[in-house]
Amino acid sequence: MILLESHNYIIQTTLAEKAIKPSSLDVQFVDFDGVRFRLSTPERKTSLLLSMNIRCWDELVNYGVHDILVREYGGLVKVQPEPEYNVSLEIDLDQIPPEGEQRDAFIKSISLLKRNALAAPFERGFREQKQLEQAGSGQGELMALHYRDEEVIYVQASPDRVTVIFSTVFREETDRIFGKVFLQEFVDARRLPNIQSAPQVLYTTRDPPLEIRHLPGLTDSEDIGYVTFVLFPRHFANPTVAESTISHIQLFRDYLHYHIKCSKAYMHSRMRHRVSEFQKVLNRAKTEAASVDRKTASGRSMSTFSR
Amino acid sequence: MSLLAPIICDNGTGFSKVGFAGNSDPSFVFPTAIATRGPAAQPSRSGPAVPPRPGHLASKRGVEDLDFFIGDEALANAQTPGYGVNYPIRHGQIENWDYMERYWEQTIFKYLRAEPEDHYFLLTEPPINPPENREQTAEIFFESFNIKGLYIAVQAVLALAASWSSNRVTDRTLTGTVIDSGDGVTHVIPCAEGYVIGSAIKHIPIAGRDISQFVLNLMRERGELATVPSEDHLKVAGRVKESYSYVCQDIVKEFRKYDAEPYKYFERYDGEHAATGRKYSLDVGYERFLAPEIFFNPEIYSSDFLTPLPEIVDGVIQQSPIDVRRGLYKNIVLSGGSTMFQHFGQRLKRDLKQIVDRRLDASSTANGSQLRSSGVEVDVISHKRQRYAVWFGGSLLASLPEFYSSCHTKAQYDEVGPSICRRYQIFGSAT
Amino acid sequence: MSNVLRPYLAAVRSTLTAALTLEDFASQVVERHNKPEVEVGQSKEVLLNPLVISRNENERVLIEPSVNSIRLSIKIKQADEIERILCHKFTRFMMQRAESFVVLRRKPVKGYDISFLITNNHTDTMLKHKIVDFIIQFMEEVDKEISEMKLSLNARARVVAESYLSAFNS
Repeated sequence: MILLESHNYIIQTTLAEKAIKPSSLDVQFVDFDGVRFRLSTPERKTSLLLSMNIRCWDELVNYGVHDILVREYGGLVKVQPEPEYNVSLEIDLDQIPPEGEQRDAFIKSISLLKRNALAAPFERGFREQKQLEQAGSGQGELMALHYRDEEVIYVQASPDRVTVIFSTVFREETDRIFGKVFLQEFVDARRLPNIQSAPQVLYTTRDPPLEIRHLPGLTDSEDIGYVTFVLFPRHFANPTVAESTISHIQLFRDYLHYHIKCSKAYMHSRMRHRVSEFQKVLNRAKTEAASVDRKTASGRSMSTFSR
Repeated sequence: MSLLAPIICDNGTGFSKVGFAGNSDPSFVFPTAIATRGPAAQPSRSGPAVPPRPGHLASKRGVEDLDFFIGDEALANAQTPGYGVNYPIRHGQIENWDYMERYWEQTIFKYLRAEPEDHYFLLTEPPINPPENREQTAEIFFESFNIKGLYIAVQAVLALAASWSSNRVTDRTLTGTVIDSGDGVTHVIPCAEGYVIGSAIKHIPIAGRDISQFVLNLMRERGELATVPSEDHLKVAGRVKESYSYVCQDIVKEFRKYDAEPYKYFERYDGEHAATGRKYSLDVGYERFLAPEIFFNPEIYSSDFLTPLPEIVDGVIQQSPIDVRRGLYKNIVLSGGSTMFQHFGQRLKRDLKQIVDRRLDASSTANGSQLRSSGVEVDVISHKRQRYAVWFGGSLLASLPEFYSSCHTKAQYDEVGPSICRRYQIFGSAT
Repeated sequence: MSNVLRPYLAAVRSTLTAALTLEDFASQVVERHNKPEVEVGQSKEVLLNPLVISRNENERVLIEPSVNSIRLSIKIKQADEIERILCHKFTRFMMQRAESFVVLRRKPVKGYDISFLITNNHTDTMLKHKIVDFIIQFMEEVDKEISEMKLSLNARARVVAESYLSAFNS
């Protein structure tokens, strides 16, 4: 698995299961970036309530998340969300499409709830860009999305592009260094012929990019970095492309961190291998089986657990 | 503290149960299997296939270690050419750390979709797990995944905690005997105040798999399986075991009951061949009560293991320190799928009580009936969460506020190193 | 092995072989104790002159001999931040498993990355020249391993970046 998927696996599997055999349920789970979900059947077995809590909801509301959710889910969106949560969908299992592709598509769309909510600033940015392009000049509003405690996504439209800036913080030294290597490759990768058309990526540490330099409250520290993606109109030329661009760019941070972790796991594998090789070399030095098999009183051997 | 629920990961030999604290059921239950490129299950624990030879072309690509599947997907891909299925856990202990690390990696990122940096984790370990294994686990979780905090609990202790959900349990004690019966093996584990009494643990080589096999044998002897395609035999036996079996109080009476009114007691099982869709059906008879009987009369199934479960439990408790024995008799907790049979608890309780009373009588006769014992209370706790009791116990403990203070945090790990995980605070204890 | 590295390793090898003349030696301070004198350092008269073999300012070996034990510490080449963190990770990983490497010290001597402690017990139960071989092989391979890890990290980062960016094409 190289790329992360955008839909939530738990929602997908649970819904598919409950669609066949409804039963009462109350589970809470999470998604990346501190999103919390609750899936429950408050009234009856066939009426599922899916609620989502997302950190930057207030900002999303400003960027028009309601319109998107209504567009995607229509009447499923409850007017009054469950307490402690920002948005609730009510799914009536008696009303869902019959088994088959339609139902799969329906369930898939529900499991994309987080993705759709987070799409708000991007969609708005794309729209603004179109307007600005016609006007020929100007700058769109700088939309900030505080999607994690210390990290922010900024989206801004210009006449010829949409700029997406991620601020990244690495809490750990190893991550910071690995992260740097990875981000440098993101910057360099675009030189390759087959991905010329990808968005341009810029990476700076410490110094915020021009677009957001005027903002107050930017942390000034060695650990902080800024990754800028420049999306050109071709990346959102038609709805399908725009959709995949949004799904993709949202997960940038998680993708990066996932791969940092995977490389650490890979390093561990390598080191385990190397250490066992060294072990063999050292064992060659031992003259003979110095250890005699010691037995306990009951006759069990006292060999230590080997790894 | 953190708003996000801790993640509970119970990796067993056969199945892994993972989910979030506070829920009553794990979010995912899938086989602890990983399908990787390359040959299946290398016989030795020689170097992993991962580090390729220097200069090898594949190492230049550098991501071939991401090409793998876990859980159900692993089994589904078992037939795909180029993939081999491996089971990183054997006999409850992690054998292949490379596979296990990647298994966790995908569990977290693909299935749970959690950012490990934001979560506390509760993992489980078998009793008498070497501390080195804990250290290695901690190394993986803190260094690879940067998790916030870690708690490693012994499975048996969690099973005890799970029994707190039963309304028959009044005091929340971590003293008791756990009977953990899964697919491969059954353990009887005595725990005193959260500590496992390692020297008294007993293993019974009879568990879920054997019961299925026994049901299969019975039905085959009666000729029921003639219409069933042979590849479905084990599956049908498993279904029969799960859906129709119960524990009876007296075999002889039960046989008589069945013979007198076969129509009342015999059940009909309908199945369908997975590949061809051909329907078949068969009668389910004596195996309904005989199946779980192999715990109580193992001689009907096996010729080399003959001690009934109640006797084993009694032996385990008698081997434990004398001052905890009453507590162990009073709180016998069931855990695992193979203890789910109806009336299993009652039968165990009755048989065990008989053994205990007999011993008390014998001793009072021996000392000339001068002193009568006040008797020993025997109780077996069955509860609704038995199947995933260990996971549920974890979920319960991790939703307590004191869970966070019992965890080792990333900062502590960075300060002390993996050896910090040699010791974990027992819940409810002073230090 | 590059030609530049060879004299360095040869120097370490011969020094170490020469230094590995250990004998059983009871503690002069505590009765009925037998401790590695190089670690205790209380009896100055049984300590020999420590010696540094230096290839350049970043790579050196410190050999501290004594009557019944010898301590060898290695400073591994670390050209940049990545190599530094990888080296740190690797040595820590290895020291974490020190109990299976009988001659490995759990903590390095200050100023070095990894230390070995060879006592007369080790030279009694193991072949001396094989111990030396082990140390030399370790020194040879650790550099190689770290640079390979660095390469693979870079390669990996490239693949990861490429896969992410090429997904925008579709």
